[in-house]
Amino acid sequence: MDYIFSALKEAINLIITLDSEVTNVVGTSLKLSLTSTFLAALIGIPLGILVSKIDFKGKYFLNTVLNTLLSLPTVVLGLFVYSIISRKGVLGEWGLLFTIKGIIIGQVLLILPIVVALVRNAIHDIDEKMYKTALSLGATGSQKFRLLISEARYGIIGALITSFGRVIGEVGVSMMIGGNIKGFTRTITTAIAMETNKGRFGFALALGIILLSLSFIINFILYFFQSGESK
Amino acid sequence: MKNIILEANNIKKCYDKEYVLDLENIKIYKGSFNFLIGPNGSGKTTLLNILSMIDTDFKGHIFYKGHKVKKDKVDVLELRRKFSVIWQNPYLFKGSIAYNIGLPLKLRQMKDRKVEKKVKEISEELEITHLLDKSHNELSGGERQKASIARALITDPEILFIDEPNNSLDYESSRYFNNLFSKLIEEGITILLITHDLYQIENYADYITLLDNGRVLKSGLYENMEI
Repeated sequence: MDYIFSALKEAINLIITLDSEVTNVVGTSLKLSLTSTFLAALIGIPLGILVSKIDFKGKYFLNTVLNTLLSLPTVVLGLFVYSIISRKGVLGEWGLLFTIKGIIIGQVLLILPIVVALVRNAIHDIDEKMYKTALSLGATGSQKFRLLISEARYGIIGALITSFGRVIGEVGVSMMIGGNIKGFTRTITTAIAMETNKGRFGFALALGIILLSLSFIINFILYFFQSGESK
Repeated sequence: MKNIILEANNIKKCYDKEYVLDLENIKIYKGSFNFLIGPNGSGKTTLLNILSMIDTDFKGHIFYKGHKVKKDKVDVLELRRKFSVIWQNPYLFKGSIAYNIGLPLKLRQMKDRKVEKKVKEISEELEITHLLDKSHNELSGGERQKASIARALITDPEILFIDEPNNSLDYESSRYFNNLFSKLIEEGITILLITHDLYQIENYADYITLLDNGRVLKSGLYENMEI
């Protein structure tokens, strides 16, 4: 028990004193996750709307693939991206392995299906009467689109928060593509895995507390928006 | 006989290669209570969607005040903005009732302060100021209908299309709406109303069009008609 208490004491001390190594790792994680979520949103929101609103051949198949990819194991994706960007891969010459850009590509691929599927669901859930009502109120095409986005806003924000939660807590892509390089590609999760193995339990625990707190904040915000949906 | 404000000729509408509407002619008279009646599935709501230009995917021609309506974006939008529709189960957008009522004016780029003033005026007229701060999903069926009427009237429409407004409303609310519609007619608004309510037909109808199986069975002045 003493071991746990002393680790906990050290963890709290590291957090309170804003230890530079801890803040560096947390900063890298936040930077990576926010960038990945932003890029996935840019691509995923329009795609989600298109998948929801446009009928095309193979839509059923695409939706099945999307739903499957929602639970894609991060190590499998890490392996896939690694095979593409490693030196012998198709994009090997681009030098993306063990870089921030490489991790971002992997994370965007990881959460893109989540953004597309959840935005698709949010748009799909909008009552058909909304479209007729918008037209009858005199909305132009672009105004109708803006009303649609506004009506689905809680669902779309929920999709982005869920995606952010997924990337901030993932370890497979960051470890395999980023290589866990100190001060460069080391994230909260890869640092926890490594520091625990090294026996720096207090340091790992500090990062664990921060990750858990971030997770709590993410879920708190998500719940706030989901409850906003019913108001 | 009053002036014709809206006329539709040779209207045909298909669903899955089957005609659900096939009308030679239908007229809506200005400043009158025009009733559209008929059994379920006779094409009343489909026709309402076409006449109000919500649905432009049809064959045939619409004439507004004698001018042929083109089905291009400009003409259609201009006409939609002269009309208002009150749906059987109104859809309210997420937000306050004040937001919902003012929305048609915002879509017409009216400034916020002017929108607020108009929302206040119409709410006072319909005695629903107590609903303005409520959220879209906090209202009863009758209150939702009242909010949607305020939203429809705020633009001073030339024609008001109404799809079975009294369905699932209590007696008091039905009476409220009937009185309101009569008042609107007195003020010169044209109303096209879909209903199954015989009381409404007997007491308020000026003109009637009876649809059956997508065709006009009878049409004309109510007082000259045997139904």
